[in-house]
Amino acid sequence: MGFLNLSKKGIAIALSAQIVLATQAVTMAQAEMLGTDAAISKYTALANRNALMDEIQRDEIRAEIEALGVDPAEAEARLAALSDAEIATMLTQMENDSAGADIVGTIFTIFVILLVTDLLCFTRFFNFTRCVR
Amino acid sequence: MKRFACLLALCWLAACAPPFDPDERLSFDAPTRAQIEGVPLIQQADFFCGPTSIAMVMQWAGAEITQEEVAALAFSPGAGGTYLADMIGSSRRLGQLAVEIDNFDQLLTEVTAGHPVIVFQNLGFSVVPVWHYGVVTGYDFARDEVYLNSGQQDQMVMPFAVFERTWRRGDYWGLVVLPPDQLPASAGEAEVLSAAAALERVAQYEAAETLYETGAANWPDNWLWQFGLGNARYAQGDLRGARQALRRARSIDPTIPEVRANLAFVESEIGG
Repeated sequence: MGFLNLSKKGIAIALSAQIVLATQAVTMAQAEMLGTDAAISKYTALANRNALMDEIQRDEIRAEIEALGVDPAEAEARLAALSDAEIATMLTQMENDSAGADIVGTIFTIFVILLVTDLLCFTRFFNFTRCVR
Repeated sequence: MKRFACLLALCWLAACAPPFDPDERLSFDAPTRAQIEGVPLIQQADFFCGPTSIAMVMQWAGAEITQEEVAALAFSPGAGGTYLADMIGSSRRLGQLAVEIDNFDQLLTEVTAGHPVIVFQNLGFSVVPVWHYGVVTGYDFARDEVYLNSGQQDQMVMPFAVFERTWRRGDYWGLVVLPPDQLPASAGEAEVLSAAAALERVAQYEAAETLYETGAANWPDNWLWQFGLGNARYAQGDLRGARQALRRARSIDPTIPEVRANLAFVESEIGG
């Protein structure tokens, strides 16, 4: 049930984002060692976010999203607006609901589409998406 | 916050309970039965079910520790019980890997992997709660039994339906407590990483170091384990060990500014 089964892919994607971060942060002047806690929350969140963002840009998923009459750019914007905590909660729910299966794959694709439809108020699969009709 | 008195209650609730259906309740194919050997039965002192549960699990893993020693770090006399957060915190202050679980899948995954699990139960009713901690040491679907070391001399045997109801009233809260050279079977990498960082936070650097090494062996592609290992070694004054780990982190991912910064910091201390 590896949480980061999902994130392995994300980590790979995250590398590119980290290069950007590196250029910003590498100049930090340092009076002490940088803590493990902060690094874990920062990079785990980043990997999660990137895994989802990567997923939503796959052709297969874009086609599904367009078939629903949704602009993929809007779907991305909605996803980008989620907080790190919301993404983490959602991934935990995905993991619990995916019945121990490796969620990188078909089930993950379904979840991502559900996420998009949730964000657009078509479905209400994830607990955190507050949709008011 | 929840509090509990650790009174012992009889399970009179069995009467009209529907049987536990593993096929319906579990999303994986759990073995018909499992039994963990070697978890001691400790008679709890009054109100000490929390500390006693931790002591039983730690003794099972080979530690020499008493319920009183755990209670000094966990028990809240004013509340007459032990808070959930203190169960986690005291386990970590004793150098253990502690991760929470919250469902039957995780519980049975751990038990079948041979790890006893501390569970939080309400043995009374919702309106008249009787909070209790016990340790699940096994189960048997065919006999419809869950086995617990529950702070008494004798093993407690509960039908699944009764266990399910008492555990549900405790929000399915469970805690896996293991020595840092073992990994829980039901927790993801992110949770174990956080648990390792938590050991650093309570200054259990040696335990943190062991857990980072264990995690690094299991998840060799993630630089965070080596980063944590470097930090935990640095905190113990092991500069060369820290440098070695941080170099490994850098070779896994050369782009991480935190790794480069800490490596530069350690190298300057070695050099200076």
